[in-house]
Formats: sequence, C-alpha cells, structure tokens
Amino acid sequence: MISIKNLVKHYNNHIALDHIDLNVGKGVILGLLGPNGAGKTTLVSILNGLIDFQEGEIEIFGLPLSQELKAIRKRSSFTPQSLALYDNLTVLENLRFFAGIQKIRGKELRHNVEYALSVNRLHSLLDHKAGILSGGQKRRLNIAIGMLNNPELLYFDEPTAGIDPESRTNILETIRSFKNDGKTVIYTSHYMPEIEKICDEVAILDRGRIIRHGLLEAMLHEEKADSVVIELRHSYEAQLQTLARKYALVKVIDAATLMIDGPDATQLGAILAALEAEQIDVKQIRYGTTNLEALFIQLTTQGNCDV
Amino acid sequence: MFKAMLLKEFILLLRDKYALAALFIMPSIFILIMSIALKDTFGSDRALLSYAVIDQDNTAESAKLRTFLLSNGRLKEHKAPITNTAQRQEALNGKLHFIVSIPPGFAQNLDTEQSASLLQLDVASDVKQEMLTLVQAELVIDIIRMRMEKIQEELAPFLPEVAQKLEAMKSNRDNLIQVRFNAMGINKKPTSTQQSVPSWIVFGMFFVIIPMSTVFISEHKQNTLMRMSAMNISVPVLFAGKLAPYIIINQIQVWLMIGVGIFLVPLFGADALTLGDSISGLFMVSLGLSLAAIGTSILIAVTADTVEQATTIGGIINILMGAIGGVMVPKFYMSQSMQQLTNISPMSWGLEGFLDIFLRGQGAGAVITESLTLAGFGAGLLLAAGMILNAKMKRGI
Repeated sequence: MISIKNLVKHYNNHIALDHIDLNVGKGVILGLLGPNGAGKTTLVSILNGLIDFQEGEIEIFGLPLSQELKAIRKRSSFTPQSLALYDNLTVLENLRFFAGIQKIRGKELRHNVEYALSVNRLHSLLDHKAGILSGGQKRRLNIAIGMLNNPELLYFDEPTAGIDPESRTNILETIRSFKNDGKTVIYTSHYMPEIEKICDEVAILDRGRIIRHGLLEAMLHEEKADSVVIELRHSYEAQLQTLARKYALVKVIDAATLMIDGPDATQLGAILAALEAEQIDVKQIRYGTTNLEALFIQLTTQGNCDV
Repeated sequence: MFKAMLLKEFILLLRDKYALAALFIMPSIFILIMSIALKDTFGSDRALLSYAVIDQDNTAESAKLRTFLLSNGRLKEHKAPITNTAQRQEALNGKLHFIVSIPPGFAQNLDTEQSASLLQLDVASDVKQEMLTLVQAELVIDIIRMRMEKIQEELAPFLPEVAQKLEAMKSNRDNLIQVRFNAMGINKKPTSTQQSVPSWIVFGMFFVIIPMSTVFISEHKQNTLMRMSAMNISVPVLFAGKLAPYIIINQIQVWLMIGVGIFLVPLFGADALTLGDSISGLFMVSLGLSLAAIGTSILIAVTADTVEQATTIGGIINILMGAIGGVMVPKFYMSQSMQQLTNISPMSWGLEGFLDIFLRGQGAGAVITESLTLAGFGAGLLLAAGMILNAKMKRGI
C-alpha cells in the first residue's frame, strides 16, 4: 500500500527525515510514534503531497507519489490535528462543502455523507453550527470530513488531542472499525495507550529516522527485558523528579511510574530504600519493557514525550 | 466544485453581520449622507457668502446698490451693526466673509470720470481667491448697471429710442449666457448624488478586504486550506473559488448603491442618481474594480499572520487609497500635484471610470483603459499572492 525508500527531507541545514525506509501493507493500522520534532508530521505531510522532499521514492497504491499525486489523493484522506472545518457552517454544510470540492455528487454524496454521519454518530447534530459543538463532537466532525471520499488510506494526525475519555473511546472505536472495511490507517499520536489499543504495527521515529518498525506484539516481546518498572499507588511527581536527578538510571514515565534501566542489585535496593524513605507506596515491581510507553522511552534518545 | 465554494462563501458572509454592515450598509449610509450634505454645494440655491454693508452715503444710489447685492442668490446680507474697527474685525473673524463699505459721496462719484475707488471691500482671511473674484465681479457689474441707468435717464429726453434699447438690455442678465456641463443637457447640472455614488461604490467594493481576509486567515490557521490542498484543490482553483463569489458580491454592492442613489436619496431631498447611457461600461469598470479589490484582499490575507493584522492593514490601505484616490475629497478640490498623485490609487482609476459613465455620459469605449488597468492590477496582485501562498504551504507555514 505504501512504500517509502530512502526518503530525505531537510529544511535548510536541519534534517527532518534522514533516509527513511518504510513499507505499510493494505488493511494495516500503523501507529507512527516519536517525540516532538521527530519528523512525524513532516512524513505525513509528504505522503499527502503537502510538502516537497529532496531525495527518495514514494509509492502509494503502487503509484509514484510525484507523478500520480492527484490520483492518490482521490483514494486517500488526511485528518489534521487542528480542527480543519468551518465554525460558521453547520455539520451538514461542512460535510456538503468538503464533498462538493471533491466533486462528490448525487447518490455518492448522499451515501458517503450518511456513512460519515452514522460512523461518527453525528446525526443528531446535523443543523448545529460546528462552532458550538463540544471538543469531542468537533473531533468527530473532523474525522467525518476525512471519510467523505470513502478513502482506502486514511491519515490521522493526533485525532483525539484535547478531548474527554468517552469521546476518545468513541473515536478509537471508529478508527479501529476501518480495519474491518479493509482500509489502511496511518495514525500519529502521543498517547501510547491509544496506539496499543488500535494499532497492528508501530513505527517509532526519532530525530528523523525510523528506529523501530514492526508488529506491536512482537516488538514488545523482542526487546531486552533488562529494565525494571515500578508502579506506584498514587502520584508523586515532585518526589520522582528529585529521585531521577539523584539516580541517572531512573526515568520518570509518569507521576505514578518509574523505569530503571539495567539496574544492579545495589542500585535497585538504594532506589527502593529512597522510595520508602519518602513514604511512597509501591504498587508493583516488574521486569522488562512490558508496554509501549516504556519501550518508547527506552528507545528514544530524548526520553520524554507529551503524555 | 465552484458551486460548493460559492455556496460556502455566501453562507459565511451572510452569517457575518459585521461584514454585511461593512459591505452593504456602510457605503449606503455614506452615499446618503454625502449626497444630502453636498446637495447645496452642487446646486445654485444656497447662499455661499455672507456679507454686511456699511452705508455711509445713505442715498438712493447706495440703497440701489444694496438692492442689487440682495438680488444675487449666492450672497446673503447680515444686518449686524458695524460701527468701529473692532466690530469689523470681529465680524470678519466670525460669520461674515465680506464687508462692503459705501463711503460718503458714493452717489456723487458714481458718474464722475475720476479713477478713485468707489467702494471698500474688507475680506475675511479664509476667503478663497475665486470667491473674492466673484464678489468683485458682482460689485463691478452693479456699479456699471447703476452708471448705465444714469446715462439712460440723461439720454431719455433727447434720444428715447437709445434709452429704450438700454432698458431692454437690462432685463434678466441670467439669460445672457447658456451653461452646458460636459455631456449634459442645456442648463442641467451635475448633482451631489452623481458625485457621491461612484465614490462610495468604489470605497465599498474595496471593503471586501475585511470578510475575505477574515475567512482566508481562519482557513489558513485552522488548516482548512491544507485540507483542501490534500483534496486536490490547487492555489489557482482556490483563488478562483474566492474570485467568483466576491465578484458577485461586488456586483450586488454596485447595484445596491445605485439603487440607493436612485430610490433612497431622493426621499431625503437630494437629487436622484441617473445612470448614464452605458450599462456595459458600468459592468466593465465594476468588474475591473472587483479584480483589483479581490487581488488586494487576497494579497493582504496571504501575507498577514492574523485576522487582526489583516483587518488593520486592510482598513488603513483602504482609507489611504480612498484619500489619495479622490473618494473622500473630490479630485477637483485638490492641488495640481495632488491630482497627479491620485493616479497611483486604483480607487482613482475606478472612480474616473464611474464618473465617465455617471457624470460625463460616456460609453464603454471611454472606460476600456481604466477597466483593463484595474483588471491587470488585480491579476498582478493575485499572481503575487499565489506565489507567496504556494511558497508558504510548501514550507508548511
């Protein structure tokens, strides 16, 4: 479905994508992960023909991107992170406008609008102006617009940013359902649990290079289990940051999770003693990178993400 | 595709009450106010100059001179008592433009051949030279009339036929000269409405800057443009999608303003607008103006980063172009150098085109240059805007 060979993109002297190779099969949901500035948005923008690249070859649907951009775009869609819609148009007017500019008319228009509405549960909001919808409803409309051309390939750039858990679950279910229709999805997000929940494959980008790509399950099992993950009962952000400054091996995953890279018994003992001294209640201690978040932090050089 | 874009722009505009006010209500109100305010300036009924007479002669002749002055509708006498220099200065600093002093011995000197002055004229310092010339001419005419009457009286017993001829010559001096304004009927005059409507149509058309840039920048900021680009909408198609609806909006503006000039302005006592003879010329100029206005709007929208920037820059450019282009101050009131400067403003090109049609009664042939210049100007700006937007989008800005 997507074949990228030796892709290079630089902005003046800054390399945004550094000799990327990536293949994505049909019907796959690929999670594109990476810290800020890793090159995720640049890659997705290039795949949508929105920005140029300097070197490499890209084929989508077996068609070369440089020559067949229009044909490729007709069969794909891009849902940007920002709410790319018109606040002063109603839900239905937004859908009709974006369908209209893609020359979708007549029966196809009615069918595709109906499909986008029902999948995104927007029927009851048809006559509401987009500007007055809740954050979750706007996100759903943003996704619905991306479905109007019944694409075979869908790109989502952080489609759940800034919404409540219930709306997020609905959106993830919607995106997951595309797999049943044989569609391919490229999904970028900072939310690791989302990627774990819906993606079959993961590609981790760091400083313009793909440092891991493969099936999510396999990737988690293949990684060396030489790390210790300590889960806490409550949040102790300040104390954990102090601990991380004191022990170089300690990485703070979130306010209630620590990871220790390759500790020996003495260090592990000292860290646990420090936790006890701070009266921090430990819930669980386990070995290995048993979730994507830990794997991500282990792999990326920056060791931080916007979770 | 165009239908969708057209519909979208219209819906967005109809739901933006401030844009509607800027595009349709504001220029309509301008036309109404300016047509009514300037009504008398273009008409002949209003007294333009006020004066007082200090009559130190107090004779039948001095009284006759006052009667003559009173018969001139452009002059209005004030009867405030002026007896000393302080009062004279105060009056000229206030509401009076002139004080005509008739010295003792005026009647006596009227028919002598001496070259001494018969009258003294005190003039307020803000009186324009042409107004002074008008008053001087009026006084000279009145003195000549009085002298002729004296000669007529003296000749009457000896040469009654000559006296009768002189009497006949006195009658109705207003009919002596036939006035014809360029391309108008005999004794028909340009009205304030004919002057105001074209100016404010031009000004109003350029106000598309506000709604266009607001929508365009929102589209850019919210990545709607990027989304459209990902849906195979190229920059030329995008611009064409803006051009078509706003040309229609501009045409609606033009005909609404014309409607205001024809139907609404007369209800308030000013003259109704007459269209001239060239509807095709009208379309040509308004189409050229549309392209110029839309080109300006899109270039501003593409270069500005925020809606606030665009509306501020757009508003300033609009007012500057209007001031330079003769919209706010008619070109004929300007000095020669300023009149030359008006030629740099596209509003001036459009205004001249409209005045050719509304005021000078010319046809489409006379406005080809203005229309093509405006269209070329608009196309140039659109080209520049397209290049800037393309570059910005390719850089992901």
